[in-house]
Amino acid sequence: MEKEKLAAWSITEEFTAKIKADNQKEHLTKWAPVFVLVALFLVFTAILGGSFASGSNIVSILNQWAIPLLVALGLTFVIMLGSIDLSINGTVGMAGSLAAVFVLNSRNGNDMGIWGLLLAVLCSVLIGFIIGTIHVKLKIPSFMVSFAFMNICAGIGLLSYGGKPPTIKDEFIASIAKSSFLEIPIITWVALLVFVICLYIQEYTPFGRHIYAVGTDETIPKAVGINVNMVKIKVFTLAGFCFGVAGVLGAIRLGQGQVSIGDGLMFPANAAVVIGGTALTGGKGGVVNTVVGTLIMTVLFNGLTMMGVNPYIKTGVQGLIILIAVALTVKHGSTVISK
Amino acid sequence: MYYGLKIGPSKKGGIFMKLRRLTSLLLVGALVIGTLASCGSQQTESTDTGSDTPVATDIDYANFTIDPSNIPQEKLDTTLYVATSVRGLENPYIVTITEGMDEFCKYLDSIGQKYEKQVLDSGGSNDVEIDNMKQFAAKANGNAIAYADPNEAAIAPSLAEAMASSGGYIGTAWNKPDDAMPQDYDPNWAIHTSADNVTNGKAMAKALFDNMGGKGKVFVIEGMLGNTASIDRVKGFEQALKEYPDIEVAHQDTGNWATDEALTLVETWLNDTPDVGGIWCANDNMATGALQALDKKDLKGKVGVTGIDANTDIVEAVKDGTVVATVSSNGYLQSGYTLAICYAAWAGLIDPAQLPDEYRVFLTPAVIVSADNVDAYIAEYVEAVPEMDFSKIFECKAN
Repeated sequence: MEKEKLAAWSITEEFTAKIKADNQKEHLTKWAPVFVLVALFLVFTAILGGSFASGSNIVSILNQWAIPLLVALGLTFVIMLGSIDLSINGTVGMAGSLAAVFVLNSRNGNDMGIWGLLLAVLCSVLIGFIIGTIHVKLKIPSFMVSFAFMNICAGIGLLSYGGKPPTIKDEFIASIAKSSFLEIPIITWVALLVFVICLYIQEYTPFGRHIYAVGTDETIPKAVGINVNMVKIKVFTLAGFCFGVAGVLGAIRLGQGQVSIGDGLMFPANAAVVIGGTALTGGKGGVVNTVVGTLIMTVLFNGLTMMGVNPYIKTGVQGLIILIAVALTVKHGSTVISK
Repeated sequence: MYYGLKIGPSKKGGIFMKLRRLTSLLLVGALVIGTLASCGSQQTESTDTGSDTPVATDIDYANFTIDPSNIPQEKLDTTLYVATSVRGLENPYIVTITEGMDEFCKYLDSIGQKYEKQVLDSGGSNDVEIDNMKQFAAKANGNAIAYADPNEAAIAPSLAEAMASSGGYIGTAWNKPDDAMPQDYDPNWAIHTSADNVTNGKAMAKALFDNMGGKGKVFVIEGMLGNTASIDRVKGFEQALKEYPDIEVAHQDTGNWATDEALTLVETWLNDTPDVGGIWCANDNMATGALQALDKKDLKGKVGVTGIDANTDIVEAVKDGTVVATVSSNGYLQSGYTLAICYAAWAGLIDPAQLPDEYRVFLTPAVIVSADNVDAYIAEYVEAVPEMDFSKIFECKAN
């Protein structure tokens, strides 16, 4: 009887069963990052008690989350293309430094107020546009162009204040660091606003769909007449915008413009994007994944800091937990059906 | 993403191909010119070997003074390459190091020495710092002096070796392994100096504890792990801690010398230790971050903070009363005088190999900045560059 049943399975049925199993697996991996986040939160709460889950620490986490989120949002689109942007440390540092020297500060006579902040973001947008254009037009791999621009931007940032960091003296801008709305810091609101913009672009614009298409296999969009080069330039420009906002908020958070604002942001951002489930090969994932990925990283750093883990082993512990998170969330191996 | 090679030049591709060719032509041109230039300089250097003036043996080093009339004219006419090798220019303290070199170069101008100056920026990488030094020494072909702040203790001998292989002179500061001595690379590793990190760390801790009335909880923000300066400053802190039994360390971690990392640490710690009484920071960059975190909780000025380095914004904060104290390692003096000693060695006025041990490895003086002397400090060091007489080369040695 059993044998008969098996034999009766047509190829179509087998195929459907396979798809079903695959979908289930996909469903699991899709939610894995959220499970990791919840687990981390519970473990830290169990170890540290009320002080970790306290309102003020949640606010701290939100504060510390804003800049990594912005950076990772920009990077997500680039990674969805299957490209990489290594300019982060430089562009973020440059935007922060420029913002601080454009507004009322301790180093020069400028006093552009909010316009100074916008101008700093614009500079970063321009850098993103240039990176994209050089990458596409001169056909140089994106990691090389963006690596060069990391150094160029860090240089521009350093030149802008001549080594002695400018302190922001504009009272309104300095007060943004302390202000909050509905208990959530303004800095985090700005990051969330950028997230909503990115989500809208990803889900509701043709451009968003094109990013997935180009990342999956760029010959297909090319064949149907999509300007693939333009999609790429737009993605790098959008990334420049996100990095610029991150830099400006970083300067506001520190109360000072420093090139080092951008230091050490790149690899955690990459890790966050990957932990969130966006594939480095392109075409998969998205900004919602990145929200979860960056939250995992921020909660991890915050919890370990509060636990007071010996600094000599902390970095190693961080690495280990990131590895575990990646192992749990990234799909390994490929089946017949999923690419 | 990978791009397939385009076969057959399209109109657009043609333009970029031309651009590429032009770039490569330019690069080759630059290479040729560079090679020619280095050959040229080698020819001029070869003429002045063996022209060193004899070195006197019993010299009163403490009062040793450079007498420009003892420097042979050939030396004055040779282009001397002067460098400072530093971790990155984003740190205000490091800017004072390069300004110290500028001041020393003004002295070279005054005695008619030909020179070229250069800042070697390692960007915080050991390998880059060693490579920079090798290239610099090779280019100068022996006519080089350098002040180096080794990125980590372990690379100090490699930097000295890079310089020794070409015959120039180097002085290091802050970091070196305990078992490596300038004598290992006689005479090219002229000196190693350091501000007294243990004493400075201890002085800041005591100032902080006294400000807290000798009791309460403190946060400790260390510098980069494995960095001698950070380890010694923390050692000084721990020595002071033993003298104050009612002080309790609530949190201790590394801020990697960086403002934003210190801000994140303090922001997080304040959630489980809102009653902290003081924050000890291993440098001023991190003190800036600590202040910003305190400001967010309206605790700025209520919780004492100390730093080390005397950055301009922290000196101003000392004046405002939001920072208890900081200490200046006097970067102008460190680089300027180290270069002066190396210069005296290059010019043949002293032989480092014959210097007494206490003149090879020694401490440089520091200035503590607190509410008592902040105005005088601002007048002398912030609004002006301190007056230094580089002819008295060992004036930089603390007694």
